[in-house]
Amino acid sequence: MKTTIQETGGKVVAVLEGSLDTVAAAETEEALRPLNDVEGKDIIIDCTKLEYISSAGLRIFLVILQNAEEKGGHVYIRGINDTVREIFTITGFSNIFEFME
Amino acid sequence: MKTIIQYVRRKLSVRVSLWVVIFAAVIFVAALGFLFYQSREAIRQEAINHASQILDKTSLRVEGILNRVEVASDMTKWLVQRHPDKADSMFVYSQGMLLNNPDFYNCSIAFEPYHFKNKGRYFSAYTKYDGDSTRTIQGGNDNYQYFYMDWYLMPMLSERPCWTEPYMDYDTYSNTTEMVTSYCQTINDREGQKIGVINTSLSLNWLSQTISNVKPYPHSYSIMIGRGGIYIVHPDTSKITRQSIFTQTIEHPDTAMSALGHAMQRGEEGMKHMHIDGNDCYVFYKPLGKTGCSMAIVCPEKDIFGGFDRVRRAVIAIVCAGLLLMLYVFIRIITRELSPLHQLAKGAETIASGQFDARLPDFQRTDEIGQLTRSFAGMQQSLVKYIEELKNTTAQKASIDRDIRIASGIQMGMLPDKFPTRADRDDVQIYASLTPAKDVGGDLFDFYFRDEKLFFCIGDVSGKGVPASLFMAVTRAVFRTVSARESKPDEIVTAMNRTMVGMNKTHMFVTLFVGVLDLPTGHLHYCNAGHDAPLLIGEGVGELPCDNNIPVGFRSTWKYTLQEAQIFSGTTIFLFTDGLTEAMDIDKAQFQMQRVGDVATQALADGQHEPHELIGRMTESVRQFVGGAEQSDDLTMMAIQYIK
Repeated sequence: MKTTIQETGGKVVAVLEGSLDTVAAAETEEALRPLNDVEGKDIIIDCTKLEYISSAGLRIFLVILQNAEEKGGHVYIRGINDTVREIFTITGFSNIFEFME
Repeated sequence: MKTIIQYVRRKLSVRVSLWVVIFAAVIFVAALGFLFYQSREAIRQEAINHASQILDKTSLRVEGILNRVEVASDMTKWLVQRHPDKADSMFVYSQGMLLNNPDFYNCSIAFEPYHFKNKGRYFSAYTKYDGDSTRTIQGGNDNYQYFYMDWYLMPMLSERPCWTEPYMDYDTYSNTTEMVTSYCQTINDREGQKIGVINTSLSLNWLSQTISNVKPYPHSYSIMIGRGGIYIVHPDTSKITRQSIFTQTIEHPDTAMSALGHAMQRGEEGMKHMHIDGNDCYVFYKPLGKTGCSMAIVCPEKDIFGGFDRVRRAVIAIVCAGLLLMLYVFIRIITRELSPLHQLAKGAETIASGQFDARLPDFQRTDEIGQLTRSFAGMQQSLVKYIEELKNTTAQKASIDRDIRIASGIQMGMLPDKFPTRADRDDVQIYASLTPAKDVGGDLFDFYFRDEKLFFCIGDVSGKGVPASLFMAVTRAVFRTVSARESKPDEIVTAMNRTMVGMNKTHMFVTLFVGVLDLPTGHLHYCNAGHDAPLLIGEGVGELPCDNNIPVGFRSTWKYTLQEAQIFSGTTIFLFTDGLTEAMDIDKAQFQMQRVGDVATQALADGQHEPHELIGRMTESVRQFVGGAEQSDDLTMMAIQYIK
């Protein structure tokens, strides 16, 4: 699992690569912690290279979302594949996140 | 040999000492070798000079004697020729010769037959020493016709003075023989006619003693050969006149000996290194004046180098003894210097065996060994500290493990463990299993009957371990509390969500499927909060349609939707968590929904879709698929078959 955070055009982009399973969740949560301190900027989570996400991984997304919403920001999810999209759909997470192509 | 090598490998002191001594030995060998070589060369040169000088001296002495013979002979000849017709004077001349030269053996002044008319056929004035006095007689007679002797004929025929080859002289008067060599020259009358011969003899025995007395070394000896190579002087007297220098080479070809013989015959002077009678010898040779003889001094090599060899042996012995002593002393010194290491090693072994408080020796040294000891003591202190910490940590961990085991027991105790079967009820039979990934898990299931309704739920808390298990316990408790007064699943989930959002600061959430089965009618009301859709296994295998509600626990405003379905008799509702579909094998491949469906279809085809059988089959399929891989997530299954 590889995680990188970069800022482009006034937006913070977190790029996730690999499989965000339960084992990788702890390290990924730590890597994405800086996103909790983002103030007044939109956050984009790039899932183009994300192969799989577990419920523990979804929780990380939820934490990011709730932190952002408390500060009035938006969280967008970009380029998810069919497997991950299905998980989002089953768990209802597709209802609370905004997606961009 | 092997044990010696092993011993040397094990002993540092022996190894270091051996290296030093070997190195010293190499230097000694080089230095002594050079010294020995140079000394030997010097001694050899000295020996050559020494022997040459002695040879020169001896040869001068022999030549002196021979010269004296020749001069005396010449003087007598002059006297005889002054008075050639006075026969009796010849006795006086002959006697005078010997009296003047007591070391001569004899002297004959012999004349041609009938030279003196009144003396008859034989006249030879012969004088010889007999003890201290001389004896002079007329030596010729019928038994000794001297004019046929070699010594008489040689000068007569060659017409010049000459030295004879050695021959045996027979003294008729005393009946003794003596090996002699003679200087002979003719006597001429006033007309120059040869009228006789003067013969002056030297005893070879005497000459031999004179020469043999010359001994540059204790075992050296002299030889002298005549023109034909015949031995004239030799320490083995049996060889004199009977053998030549070439005699031995006929039987045992010896080129060196032959070469020596020829060189001596040619009258050369020089030195040869030879092997004679089993000894290496140096032979120094030189011709003896006009006689045609040649003398040689044979010096055994061991005589020449005897002293040198003794010194060399002594030096080698001293060096060897010194090196051995050096080895011994070095081993002792190094062993003594390193002995603290032994004690340190023993101390270390004691510590390694578990006695961390063992006292290390204190050497009060400032060298490397002292440093090592201090470092070691420091390490020991750290070790004691760490072991203490480790003990505490281990104790704490054991305590935590115990707590977790207890928690796991409590958690499992919350779940229903009595599953109704056909024997118990005529409307529904249920079976479920929960296998946590760690000791305590985040999955849950529950069911109970109220008012002819079956209330059931299955859920999966995000994450696993202790946090997930706590959240799971809360979820289950809230489910029981809420469902005790609510009968509609959507109301139950909504109420649960509202309650749990308020007590969730950690952003945990739980996916939940809540169903209420009306037992008399088989009508199912359900609400799915983000959970995997259950399978219905009856006439066929299919998913129960589910709305995409969000999981419970983080958004209090969400309105959960209610759904309903009719369950026919014999149909099994198969609920599961994502631990089933996402069970991973060693290559991280997932079990997936497709396989869950396949197993269910096969179970249906085999008529084994009753709860216990179905879950048994599913468990076995997952077990085979996963193989040796570690279980990555909690795995929970619940099957409910409506049989009314």
